[in-house]
Amino acid sequence: MTKPSVVQPPRLAVWLVNLFTPYEQVEAISGDLLEEFSDLTLKSGGAFARRWYWRQSVKTIGHLIGSGFRSAPWKIAGAVLLGRVLLPFGFILPEKIIVAVLRVFPVYPNYDHINVYELWMFWVPLAIRIGWVIAPIIIGCIVAVVAKGREMIATMSLGLSFLALRLVAIIVNRPGRILTQPDILLGLIAAFVIGGVIVREIRSALSPRPSPAHC
Amino acid sequence: MSNRDFLGEFEHIVVLALLRLADQAYGVTVRREIEVRTDREVSIGAIYATLDRLETKGYVKSHLGDPTPERGGRSKRFFHVTAKGVAAVNRTHRALGSMTEGLDLVRRYS
Repeated sequence: MTKPSVVQPPRLAVWLVNLFTPYEQVEAISGDLLEEFSDLTLKSGGAFARRWYWRQSVKTIGHLIGSGFRSAPWKIAGAVLLGRVLLPFGFILPEKIIVAVLRVFPVYPNYDHINVYELWMFWVPLAIRIGWVIAPIIIGCIVAVVAKGREMIATMSLGLSFLALRLVAIIVNRPGRILTQPDILLGLIAAFVIGGVIVREIRSALSPRPSPAHC
Repeated sequence: MSNRDFLGEFEHIVVLALLRLADQAYGVTVRREIEVRTDREVSIGAIYATLDRLETKGYVKSHLGDPTPERGGRSKRFFHVTAKGVAAVNRTHRALGSMTEGLDLVRRYS
């Protein structure tokens, strides 16, 4: 005899809800959603229950973002401000480091046919590209660490602050700035959010499960 | 927080649901109670956002129950209304009663 298959809620929806839920509420909110999902699966079938779970998850995340802003506006604003202050340093730092390294340890010193200029023209742009990928992720991590418990809201707000800047640039007709290029801007926002996800996941893994005595 | 505060519309509904459910008030039962009695779909997120606000104001208190298998081993968070919360409900009811006194809402405005 085969066992009846147990219908599970959509994993992506579960993960997203957990990302946006404050630690102290993860247990209760994910448990409530799972309980209702199980009841709905029995009453109305798996497909209906999964649709319901997605709908509830989207609405719940919306409310969690709103309540997160309301409960800690200064914490989030401070974290976003810190991210904005750090970003220029994050972009410049890899370039500075690689230039300093090249000065102290010149690579390929015995290859006479490699011109020093060509060497620099290879390494410095590479450092800049690496910086542009890694720096926003690290800054996203720093912002998430500062905005403890509101990691995703803070990193999304940081990204949205750059999006707002782009809109202002369009309105005032000054499209020359590099951060106003759509592909770079979207990459930047994604990198901040990835930083937030990394910190949130690490914290979730390290945080102890709340016991009845904790509440 | 001033003790002259009134409850917002959804806060009011949530506190009344907690009072109706007594010691069985947690996310799922509160959400269902509101849906059944008000015929309005609400999300778990909306319930918790409101309950958190009410807890910050001191109108409700919560405690975690024991983990249960049907919830994947997760605990229920039970809520109950404090004396301050009951006073806020009464204050809000009195204010609403006072504002609607003498108005024939059914006949004149329906």
